[in-house]
Amino acid sequence: MAEVRAEMVANVWKVLVANGDEVTDGDTLVILESMKMEIPVIAEDDGVVTIKVAEGDVVQEGDLIATID
Amino acid sequence: MTVLDNRVGTEAAEEPADPRDPLVRLGQLLDDGSMRPITPQDKSGAMAVSGRVEGVPVVAFCSDARVQGGAMGSEGCEHIVHAYDVAVRERVPIIGLWHSGGARLAEGVESLHAVGRVFAAMTKASGVVPQISVVVGAAAGGAAYGPALTDIVILSDNGRIFVTGPDVVRSVTGEDIDMASLGGPEPHSKRSGVVHVVTKTEADALLKARELACLLGHQGRVRGSVDEVDFSTLLPENPRRAYDVKPMVSGLLDEPGIELHPKWAPNIVTTLGRLGGRTVGVIANNPMRLGGCLDSASAEKAARFVRMCDAFGVPLIVLVDVPGYLPGVGQEHDGVVRRGAKLLHAFAEASVPRVTLVTRKAYGGAYIAMNSRALGATRVFAWPTAVVAVMGAVAAVRILKRRDLAAAPEEERHALEERLAEEHEKVAGGLERAVDLGVIDEVLDPAKTRGMIAKVIAQATPARGAHGNIPL
Repeated sequence: MAEVRAEMVANVWKVLVANGDEVTDGDTLVILESMKMEIPVIAEDDGVVTIKVAEGDVVQEGDLIATID
Repeated sequence: MTVLDNRVGTEAAEEPADPRDPLVRLGQLLDDGSMRPITPQDKSGAMAVSGRVEGVPVVAFCSDARVQGGAMGSEGCEHIVHAYDVAVRERVPIIGLWHSGGARLAEGVESLHAVGRVFAAMTKASGVVPQISVVVGAAAGGAAYGPALTDIVILSDNGRIFVTGPDVVRSVTGEDIDMASLGGPEPHSKRSGVVHVVTKTEADALLKARELACLLGHQGRVRGSVDEVDFSTLLPENPRRAYDVKPMVSGLLDEPGIELHPKWAPNIVTTLGRLGGRTVGVIANNPMRLGGCLDSASAEKAARFVRMCDAFGVPLIVLVDVPGYLPGVGQEHDGVVRRGAKLLHAFAEASVPRVTLVTRKAYGGAYIAMNSRALGATRVFAWPTAVVAVMGAVAAVRILKRRDLAAAPEEERHALEERLAEEHEKVAGGLERAVDLGVIDEVLDPAKTRGMIAKVIAQATPARGAHGNIPL
């Protein structure tokens, strides 16, 4: 299982995949908003995704955004 | 003087050569038939040679891991010091291949003194000749700090770097960890910043050392005209959208260069390559990581790169797309002020030609830090859609006009904010103003970028900083 964690404090602006979706390395899972920038969160593994955040959430550095099984 | 067959042992001897034999390793590093020993082949644990890489003269030395695990005694250390003397005298790059457990225990303080003399020779040569280290086996203690004092450290898959190995760690701290997790490619490429380049094999590591020695040892000149690339397609249409800057860096160079520290502090990219045939160093914010913000690690990484390039007279190209310094308690307590100051110092100190290109935005303190006019940039360009400001216009009017905005009826507030932001941008943020002030020299067509930057570098007076390259 791979964990995808937030690199920095940000707002969750858009969630682009749903729980149970098959994702592949390089897919955009979520778009964060921070420092006036839209920052895509990219899958670094292939597998089934579980999203741990919702649009509008605030994530802190290190917070879990998704897991890929 | 003897000329050694680079493929020593493979044909002459019946038994296959020991891959740890320094002559085998050095033979793979150097051009065929170019290797000449400059120290005796003995049981000292190290030997040194002169030779060429792609025709460029270099000096190289290698630990002899067959003798006491390559441990460094007084005699072996003297061989390395001699190699440094030769490299400095001939003004050629020096490449060290490391596979050593550190100072020889049996020799006691004598070996410590000898290892210290190697460190002193390295430091004296710092900024004078390019120093490249390739760690091909375990390098512990003194053999870890040796590479760490040099300009560029390459780690092959079997390379390990640590002050003390797993056994000592376990007995002192109780932490149970294997050699690879303690000091292998993963921790050193991502966490510690000790290593600049990681490779999958020893042969690849030696190849990278050859390429880097060529880039630093034979820099060449900008020749004729360079091909143009239309960079405008590389920027996303939405100005707020993040993108990977690496294709832009590669597009700027004749062919993809060698990125240093690609996985450590990835929000800034530092790459050595060639433009118009001349070696250049490229520094670029990467909006894909941390939004491209500068933080303490990235400022430190870039500062060291700037100082290395400056010391060897390698012109710099700085691609700016930076929203600012990363805010946060973690950053402040991590010393973002002290470590960020290193980048200001490095650029302000640099005497090498250095061109800045603002591709999209340059905000706040990070604008200053990214080789701004005030820090002495040779030339500052901007693409037509670039923004230079203290902060984004909307954020600025929310502070400057907060009373007006608060007084406005709620349904009109958004429109007012947009109108004020537009006005503010005209006064404070627009490119025109930056050009009027002289902080940007010229607005550049993205499709004419390579040629203009190459021209500035070709016409600039060559210079190099008179300083060492302390491993910041």
